[in-house]
Amino acid sequence: MSHSHTDQEAHNAEAMAEIKKVTIILSVFTIIELILGFWMISMTSVSLKLAIKGTIVILMMAKAFYIVAYFMHLKHEVKNLIMTIVVPLLLFVWFISAFLWDGSSFRNLRNNYDPHFKEQATIKVEQKEEEHGAAKHEGSEAKHEGAESKHETAKPEPAPYY
Amino acid sequence: MSHEAVLHGHDSHGHDEHGHHEHHDTFLTKYVFSQDHKMIAKQFLITGMVWAVLGGLMSVLFRLQLGYPDASFPWLESLLGKWAKGGQITPEAYYALVTTHGTVLVFFVLTAGLSGTFANFLIPLQVGARDMASPFMNMLSYWFFFTASVIMLSSLFVETGPFSGGWTAYPPLSALHDASPGSKTGMDLWIISMALFVVSSLLGGLNYIATILNMRTKGMSMTRLPLTIWALFFTAVLGVLSFPVLLSGMILLIFDRNFGTSFYLSDIYVNGVGALSNEGGSAILFQHLFWFLGHPEVYIILLPAMGMVSEIMSVNSRKPIFGYMAMLGSLFAIAILAFLVWAHHMFVTGLNPFLGSVFVLLTLLIAVPSAIKVFNWLTTLWRGNIRFTPGMLFAIGFVSLFISGGLTGIWLGNAALDIYLHDSYFVVAHFHIVMGVASMFGMFAGVYHWFPKMYGRYLNNSLGYIHFWVTIAGAYLIFWPMHYQGLAGMPRRYFDFSIWESFKQFAELNRFISTVAMIVFATQILFLINFFYSIFKGRKVTVLNPWEANTLEWTTPINPGHGNWPGEIPEVHRWPYDYGKDGHDFIPQTTPVGADETGTH
Amino acid sequence: MSTTTTASPNEAKLWGGGKSPFNSEYGKVMMWYFLMSDAFTFGAFLISYGTVRFSTNGWPNSNEVFRSFPFAPDGVHAPLVFVSIMTFILIISSVTMVLAVHAGKNMDKQGVVRNMILTIIGGIAFLSCQAWEWNHLHSEGAWWGMNPFLNADGTASSTNFTNFFFTITGFHGFHVFSGVVINIIMLIMTLLNKFEQRGHYLMIEKAGLYWHFVDLVWVFVFTIFYLL
Repeated sequence: MSHSHTDQEAHNAEAMAEIKKVTIILSVFTIIELILGFWMISMTSVSLKLAIKGTIVILMMAKAFYIVAYFMHLKHEVKNLIMTIVVPLLLFVWFISAFLWDGSSFRNLRNNYDPHFKEQATIKVEQKEEEHGAAKHEGSEAKHEGAESKHETAKPEPAPYY
Repeated sequence: MSHEAVLHGHDSHGHDEHGHHEHHDTFLTKYVFSQDHKMIAKQFLITGMVWAVLGGLMSVLFRLQLGYPDASFPWLESLLGKWAKGGQITPEAYYALVTTHGTVLVFFVLTAGLSGTFANFLIPLQVGARDMASPFMNMLSYWFFFTASVIMLSSLFVETGPFSGGWTAYPPLSALHDASPGSKTGMDLWIISMALFVVSSLLGGLNYIATILNMRTKGMSMTRLPLTIWALFFTAVLGVLSFPVLLSGMILLIFDRNFGTSFYLSDIYVNGVGALSNEGGSAILFQHLFWFLGHPEVYIILLPAMGMVSEIMSVNSRKPIFGYMAMLGSLFAIAILAFLVWAHHMFVTGLNPFLGSVFVLLTLLIAVPSAIKVFNWLTTLWRGNIRFTPGMLFAIGFVSLFISGGLTGIWLGNAALDIYLHDSYFVVAHFHIVMGVASMFGMFAGVYHWFPKMYGRYLNNSLGYIHFWVTIAGAYLIFWPMHYQGLAGMPRRYFDFSIWESFKQFAELNRFISTVAMIVFATQILFLINFFYSIFKGRKVTVLNPWEANTLEWTTPINPGHGNWPGEIPEVHRWPYDYGKDGHDFIPQTTPVGADETGTH
Repeated sequence: MSTTTTASPNEAKLWGGGKSPFNSEYGKVMMWYFLMSDAFTFGAFLISYGTVRFSTNGWPNSNEVFRSFPFAPDGVHAPLVFVSIMTFILIISSVTMVLAVHAGKNMDKQGVVRNMILTIIGGIAFLSCQAWEWNHLHSEGAWWGMNPFLNADGTASSTNFTNFFFTITGFHGFHVFSGVVINIIMLIMTLLNKFEQRGHYLMIEKAGLYWHFVDLVWVFVFTIFYLL
């Protein structure tokens, strides 16, 4: 418990070096993410886009690891504390996969059985209106009108089919 | 100054303060804004009992409608006013009663009233701590719950009535003001009340976890903890990890209600209003979010009862609990599985069938730890020297109900069967037996068993026996027939079955169920009388350890003050289940292990 | 049945009672578990966002939406630039927070004060950026229940893109705001020598945990809303 003076200093230097290292890693990862993001803007290949998105997710997880492990100091805690934090987080695996799975299944269902839903996804809106600026002055009453008129183009009258 | 030294300096300082510092208690600090975990436990218990009476009364009222759909009760109109025009409950009032009954009993009685009471009361006493890790947060936890209660209560008195869309609050009924009268102010109050309740349970849960992990007395290793504490620990973990998801769902719901968003709304046409502009949301999303809390919630309700039953059973069988480690393992397994099975409540929503089958598999896995626990309880009883105290009877009743209700869970866990049985009275019977009545039995067992520690007096035994026998017989008489009604296709939440030819055959049975429900409710009043009479006039406890139990709470004075132990906190040398060992009837945890003792735990 | 003897002596000592098995006082344990539960709150939001996105046919392209920059002329489109500045502000404020915690461990009051001030400035800068971005999006007609943007393929978009964006970044912004408030309280307590009197800076450590968590959430929010 009682470190000698030099021990303490060595420990300090070590900690500072670690902070510096993690800062650099986080910055580099963020820059890589941004580069990938810029690259993706002009990309048309869907599969390549998907691969890049996967890479970005991995980088995201790596950043999260460095923040939790070093900035939040979890790596230097007692192993039991680490386990009680990390093990419950595994619940997210099923949380995420079941939700997204059912989400995409819901889309397929609607595309199969809800013609209006499917049709809407094919009608392109002619021109992007440029008078967004006007919308903000009209106040809150205008927001519902705006939303309705936007949908009117694609939607006649919803049939109560259920 | 090193880190560790700081910690321990801090810790022991805290203890000293609790131990020797004499508070000058006023009425306000002792009974109202108390930071003593024992007083907070009593506050939770009594608030929970008030809610139990209100919730029970609501069930009596709607059972009256179901049992006597054609009769008119003039006194109802004077009680409920416009909600019972002409002495008959209106459909709106009926739905409001059902909804509030569900919400109140699930959250306020069986969550706050059960784990709030016993976690607060037992954790510091049984792990050997002066108080909770943070007594102040503990007090806040109660007052958040109290505020939530008041808001929920006030929703009963708004002009449009309380929320009436079912305790699960599915959108669009909960998301649109125009959906029903109860969806207006009543729903706003419902959401606010639930949000405060989430905060309360988080504050409580964090405290319970920190106390169990950090504040155990010397020698109280994790495997020497009584099973009550383990159960309450997993309960707290479940609450801390699942209630936030409900909170998120509620926040999105608030935006849908008030800010024109469409998280849960799509393709909605409201009579008299027209087509709504809300597009692209998914009502199923809310169900996912709700049940991600909702299913762990079932175990938040059940686990404390399981823990207390284990403890009470071992004490009153004068035998060690059978399979301590298996009990722990099954608690752990249940806690994990609780998070993985939520969508079995949603088999008929249009859930992806393949995903559904994964949920079936995970759901049926719960049968394994549940069966382990049941067999362990039965083998604990086996050849025990059983003392049939009222607490013990309720514990045995819990096991009986848990088996009866759990078996139907296997039916409902199968998607193929559930699609037929969903939203029928079969489901009502299942969850009332396995989680409603069973947990109530756990709570009663706990109250009868720890009442001497809480108030220094005994409850009246004869009244306790009447209470037990009427309640268990009544519970089966009420809910057993509902299985048959459900199999015959009788749907839940209907206002009046007499207008359907196919359900006319059940008119007699419905009347029978309603009558029994009223008798059982009246018996609970008997318990209340017993409870409040005994606080003031009950037979006084004269010995430290009236049940001859091993756990630490019985080493405190008969009426422990704030700080629990007047002197040092006792050190623990053994597990809490050394009953009938080496010729001793019981060996308290504080007794050091003798040199010639046979294998210690 | 002897379970305690099988564990290594060191472990048995840790869990044997009478002390924290994690060598940390209860407040820190509570903070960790609070953050866990908060992670589930944010997780539920982000997973809901993912679920709705997965159940919808089209979705706006974030690079078309978030492409403005303060003081830039109207025609200039700079996707990702502004948000990357926000991200770096938060990372840097996280670093200064680590330095503050580190200084606290060495009982270095000056270091704590200096780094806490920097952290607070970072937090306020982040909130200002967010305020500008919200204001700008609102001026373009985006708000809860209003979505002026089209899907990437040119079809009409549901309002859920903006609904989720404002709800989740708003909830995160609320966390940043409360983090700044906590940090200001910690700074005042440091200046009043509260921690010097207590002999430890554990409160700074707990505030630090919260602040890093806010940064951690931003890592996810940033990636999910702006990159994916």
